Amino acid sequence: MTKEREWIAGYLFILPSIVLLAILVFYPLIITFLYSLSDMSLTSTRYLGWMAYQRLFQNKMLSLIFKNSVIWTVFVALFQLLLGLGSALVLNKAFIGRSLLRGIVILPWVMPGVVTAMVWRLIYDPQLGLLNHYLKALGIIDHYLTWLSTPSTALYAVIFSAIWKGFPFSTLMYLAGLQGVPPELYEASEIDGAGDWNRFLHVTLPSMRPIITTTLLFTFIWTFNYFELIYVMTGGGPSEKTHIFPTYIYDLAFKRFRFGNASGFAVVDFLFLLIFSLIYVRLSTKRGGLE
Amino acid sequence: MMRGKRRGMVVLHAVFAFLLATFVLFPFAVMLSMSLKAPDEQFTSPPYLIPHRPTMENYIEVFGQGSMFARYFLNSILVAFGTTVVVLGVSIFSSYGYARLAFPGKSVLFTLLLLSQLFPLAAIIVPLYRIMSQAGLIDSFFSLIVGYLAFSVPVGVWLLRSFFLGIPRDLEEAAVIDGCTRMQAFWKIVIPLARPGIGATAAYILFITWQEFMFALTFITTQNKRTLPVGIFDFVGQYETNWGNLMAASILICIPVFILFLFVQKQLVGGLTEGAVKG
Repeated sequence: MTKEREWIAGYLFILPSIVLLAILVFYPLIITFLYSLSDMSLTSTRYLGWMAYQRLFQNKMLSLIFKNSVIWTVFVALFQLLLGLGSALVLNKAFIGRSLLRGIVILPWVMPGVVTAMVWRLIYDPQLGLLNHYLKALGIIDHYLTWLSTPSTALYAVIFSAIWKGFPFSTLMYLAGLQGVPPELYEASEIDGAGDWNRFLHVTLPSMRPIITTTLLFTFIWTFNYFELIYVMTGGGPSEKTHIFPTYIYDLAFKRFRFGNASGFAVVDFLFLLIFSLIYVRLSTKRGGLE
Repeated sequence: MMRGKRRGMVVLHAVFAFLLATFVLFPFAVMLSMSLKAPDEQFTSPPYLIPHRPTMENYIEVFGQGSMFARYFLNSILVAFGTTVVVLGVSIFSSYGYARLAFPGKSVLFTLLLLSQLFPLAAIIVPLYRIMSQAGLIDSFFSLIVGYLAFSVPVGVWLLRSFFLGIPRDLEEAAVIDGCTRMQAFWKIVIPLARPGIGATAAYILFITWQEFMFALTFITTQNKRTLPVGIFDFVGQYETNWGNLMAASILICIPVFILFLFVQKQLVGGLTEGAVKG
C-alpha cells in the first residue's frame, strides 16, 4: 500500500469516532465555555465576558467546592493506592483460596455506583445501620451517630465508601505490575541478604513505578469527576459539606437552572484537571515514571 | 529461628487475607441480609446481620403488582446493548486505525481522544440536553444511547487499541504477502484474533452503561422509560425507604454484571493494564 493510500485508509477508519466525538463532546464543550461567559438561566441570558470569571473567582462557593474536591480526591486516591498495593501483595502470594479471594476482591469495583451508594447509606443509617451498632458494642462510640448528616463526618464517610468502591481497580493494576517484576531482581536481592521490607522498597516499588504512576493519575481523574456516589449518598449536604465539582455543577444546572454559573464551574474543573495532568505527566516523565 | 519467622509470616498473611475479605464482603452481607428480612425484622433496634426468619418476600414484591422493576430491567438491557453495538461498530475501525495505520496528525487526534476523559460528564450535559430537546429526542432511549456514546466511544477505542497492539504485525504482513488485501487481512486475520479483546471491550461498555446514572436521570422523564439506576429510587420514599425491597432490587441489578465479569475478567484486566502502560 502506498503512503498516501495508507493515510486515506487511516482517516477513513477513525472518521466515525472523530465525527461522534466532535458532535457529542467537543461541540458541547465549546458551548459550555460560551455559556460560562454569561449568566444564563431559564429566564434571561446576559453576556458578561470575562466579568463572569471575575465573579466566579469571588464566589465563596468556588473555594468551598474546590476544597471539598481536593480533600475527597486526595484521600480517595491515596488510600486506594495504599490499599491496592497492600491487597495486591496479599493476593500475589500463593495460598489456599487465592483465586476465590481474587474474584471476591473485584466485586466492589463491579458493583453499580447507585447500588453502592444505597448500601452505604444503609450501613451509615443512624438507626438501622450496623456501623453504629458495632462501634457501640466495641465501645468506640457511646451513642448512635448520624454519619451522613453531621457536617464534620459526612465528607469522610463518603470518602470511606469511595475507597471501598474503587480500590479493586488499583489492586488489579498492581497485581499485574507485581507479576511483571523480573524474578532475577528478587534472586539478586536474596543473595545480597536483603530483608522483606528492603526488598519491597528497593526492588518491588521501583520496578512498579510506571504502573503506580499511571494508576494514580487514573484514580485521581476518575475520583475528581465521580458523580453518583456523593449525589445519592448525601446530595452534597449537609450544608454543602460534601459537594464536589460534578455534584455541584449538576445541582446548579438542573435544580437552580443557573446554566451560566454551572458552566463556569465546569470549565474550572476541566482546566484544573488539565493543568494537574500536564504537570503530573511532566514530573513523572522526568523521574522515569512514564514513557 | 528461621522457621518461627516463616510461620509468623504465614499467620500474618492469613490475618491480612481474612481482613481483606471481611472489608470487601461486609457491604454485600448487609445488602443480602436486608433483602432477606421481613418488615418486622428490618426495623429492629439494635439491628442484626443474620435474619432470624429469612424470606424471599422482598424479591417477590420487587417483581410484584404495581412494581415497574421488570420494565426498568428491560429498558436497561435495551439501552446497554444498543450502546454497546454502536460503540463496537465505531471503535473496531478507529482503534485499528490508531493501532496500525500511519497518517499525519495521528498522535494529536489520539491525545484529543484521551483529553475527552478529563472533564466531568456534568460539563457537557447542559448543551447535550439542549441539542436533544431541539431534536425532539428527549425522553427516548435513543437520546440515552447517543448520550452514552460521548463517554463510551473513547473508552472503547482506547481499550480495543491496546488489544490490537498486542497482535503481532507479522501475521497481517504475511497475509498481505500471500496475496490478501489489507482489508482482507483485517477481516480474516486481525478481527478473529482480537475476538477475546472485542468481547472484553463489549463487556466493559455494557458494564459502564448498565450503571450510568446522570444522563438517565436527566434525559428520561417518563416513568416507564427509566433504566435501573434511576428506577431503583421507586423504593426510596419521601418519608420512608422500603429497605427490604431496595436491597433485593440492588442484588438483582448486580447479578448480570457480576456474571459478565466472571467470563471476561482475565481479558479485561489484560486490556486495562496494557492500555494503561501503552498510554
